Amino acid sequence: MSERASESVSQRPARSVGRAQRGRAIRRTRVGTAAVAAALALLAAGCGGSGTIGQSPGGGSEPPANKNLVLLPGVKAEPFYISMQCGAQEEAAKLGYQLDTQAPDQFEAALQTPIVTGVLATRPAGVLIAPTDDVALANPMTQLKDAGIKVVEVDTRLQDESVALSTVSSNNEQGGRLAAQTVAQLVGDTGKVMVLNTKAGTSTTDARAKGFEEEIANHPGITYLGQEYTDNQPSVAAQKITAKLSSDPDLAAVFATNLNTGEGAATGLRNAGKTGQVRLVGFDASPNQVEDLRAGEVSALIAQDPATIGRQGVEQVVAAIEGRPVQREIQTDLIAITQADMDANSQYFYKTAC
Amino acid sequence: MIDTEVGAPAQRTAAQRLAGASTFWIALVLVALCVLFSVLRPDAFPTLFTLQTLLIEASVLLVLAVGMTFVIITAGIDLSVGSVLVFSGVVAATFMESLSGGDASGAGVGVVLLGLVAALAGGGVWGLVNGLLVARARIPPLIVTLGSFGAALGAAQLITDGVDVRTVPRVLRDGLGFGQTGQVPHMVALAAVVTLAGAWLLHTTRFGRRTFAVGSNAEAARRAGIPVRGHLVRVYTGVGLLSGLAGFMSLAYFGTTTISGHSTDNLNAIAAVVLGGTSLFGGVGTVFGTVIGVFIPAVLTKGFVIVGVQQFWQPVAISAVLVAAVWFDQVRRRSRDRR
Repeated sequence: MSERASESVSQRPARSVGRAQRGRAIRRTRVGTAAVAAALALLAAGCGGSGTIGQSPGGGSEPPANKNLVLLPGVKAEPFYISMQCGAQEEAAKLGYQLDTQAPDQFEAALQTPIVTGVLATRPAGVLIAPTDDVALANPMTQLKDAGIKVVEVDTRLQDESVALSTVSSNNEQGGRLAAQTVAQLVGDTGKVMVLNTKAGTSTTDARAKGFEEEIANHPGITYLGQEYTDNQPSVAAQKITAKLSSDPDLAAVFATNLNTGEGAATGLRNAGKTGQVRLVGFDASPNQVEDLRAGEVSALIAQDPATIGRQGVEQVVAAIEGRPVQREIQTDLIAITQADMDANSQYFYKTAC
Repeated sequence: MIDTEVGAPAQRTAAQRLAGASTFWIALVLVALCVLFSVLRPDAFPTLFTLQTLLIEASVLLVLAVGMTFVIITAGIDLSVGSVLVFSGVVAATFMESLSGGDASGAGVGVVLLGLVAALAGGGVWGLVNGLLVARARIPPLIVTLGSFGAALGAAQLITDGVDVRTVPRVLRDGLGFGQTGQVPHMVALAAVVTLAGAWLLHTTRFGRRTFAVGSNAEAARRAGIPVRGHLVRVYTGVGLLSGLAGFMSLAYFGTTTISGHSTDNLNAIAAVVLGGTSLFGGVGTVFGTVIGVFIPAVLTKGFVIVGVQQFWQPVAISAVLVAAVWFDQVRRRSRDRR
């Protein structure tokens, strides 16, 4: 739908400009030729430079002259990724590396791909990436790999396991199972429950929902109403949960698989006057969610350990750069935090700044 | 639309005029959808609860779409509304935080009102910049607002370091976000006031007539003595102000600035306006149509979840209804114009 709207919009200016453009066509061609020639000259100069004269300052005497790492989180400004960045930066500094972070405005393959290809041009020694789609990012990440850049996946992963050297992630399926157990506990093993998921095709959240579905089946007293996708928009999450409350007013619990869905669900429940009555289990522990847990809008949070993911990701990528063996698969622990034990678990709360 | 009807033959009956109104058939689609869902789930769909939540959830988009109606009638477009919404919310939230020394949760009504002023100012400034660039610098509105779409979001992230502002005054959340008087949620009342004011401004005042005139033929409007540039600046500033208000409402509703959650607001607003019978080529449109256009997707989303439609069908069906409704409207118009 969105593409259709933007297309019909873009037709209009083009039509009014068309006539004027035709008049200038001849002059433009000449300018265009000059530009192409200039670009070719630059390109030739660039290629020549790197091929013959340009030597790295170290001259190859110390093994890894390139000490640059890049972290490519899935989206800007999520406390989860900021905490990961903090952990990664700390570890990189300790190992004597430089870590730069570049994130897209949205969790969207179309926005992350140009960032990946942009990073490719800067030739860092290693890249830590949270791919925003398990298939769409395979190509650009393969380009990184083919350029000799060491690639380690953090948080999310590709379906194709041959691209990255190592994957450091939360055991999301176990997180989903933990959520199901927490839900069952909260509702006393009886009642209707549902899942609010983000976008279909996101490996982490799909794994959480899968783990939840598998575990909830072990609780015969609980009726599972299935999942709804929210496009990762809080407003859609609010819409869907109030709609579900219309059809099933006796809804007992909701498992929201990430931050935006959780916030939308909390708003929808509050709107419906069902806060606390419908148990909301969120995923992640960003400051807002921790506040909501404290205030009772959320009954429990399933927290990951992003700082550890970042630290271990850096460890792995540095090991690869320095020619030491890497571990293909690392899974970090998740933990369920309820209102009662939240103060004891404050080390798991996510940060908004390092 | 209304303008063209003025010249219609007087012998047409009221029923004929009604059937000829551009919004009539679209409104019928909305009614039909409501009836359909009510028949499928009589216990769940036609309830006060569904109505209330439906209205609240559409309030923010409605305010954006009313402003968008004016812009599209001038044959313009504003892609920046969602980002300006986020920017205004961020400005208001950080301003309220700074007024109350870091944590605005316990702030009073005075601080909230100042926050509202900040939100309106934040939105109005972006609108003014858009308007000046469109009307004075003569850059196509698509490009201008595509620029401010990115810039406003970036500015919001600069102000907050990209992290959502979370301490929103409780007075604001309980008063506007979740408050209601006699079953009428305050969010809905505010959106209704904005909509009625928009309809009044567009359909009964000189400002509205000029908006239609500029969109129909800017050159003719200029020769008729209408200050076209000044009018465009005012229209874009207006939509900026409304985006600012929408940002404040969103803040009250979500209790956080939801920086990453408004990337498709612009397209939703444009789709609603076009669905409501406003022409993308300008000169034609109604606020009432826009209201219908906002509610058709909202009713579909809600109805599908209540009825339990398999969820990957939902976006397919919503998009199909959007395209079909506009196509239907086009066919009807063409057959009328041939007469």
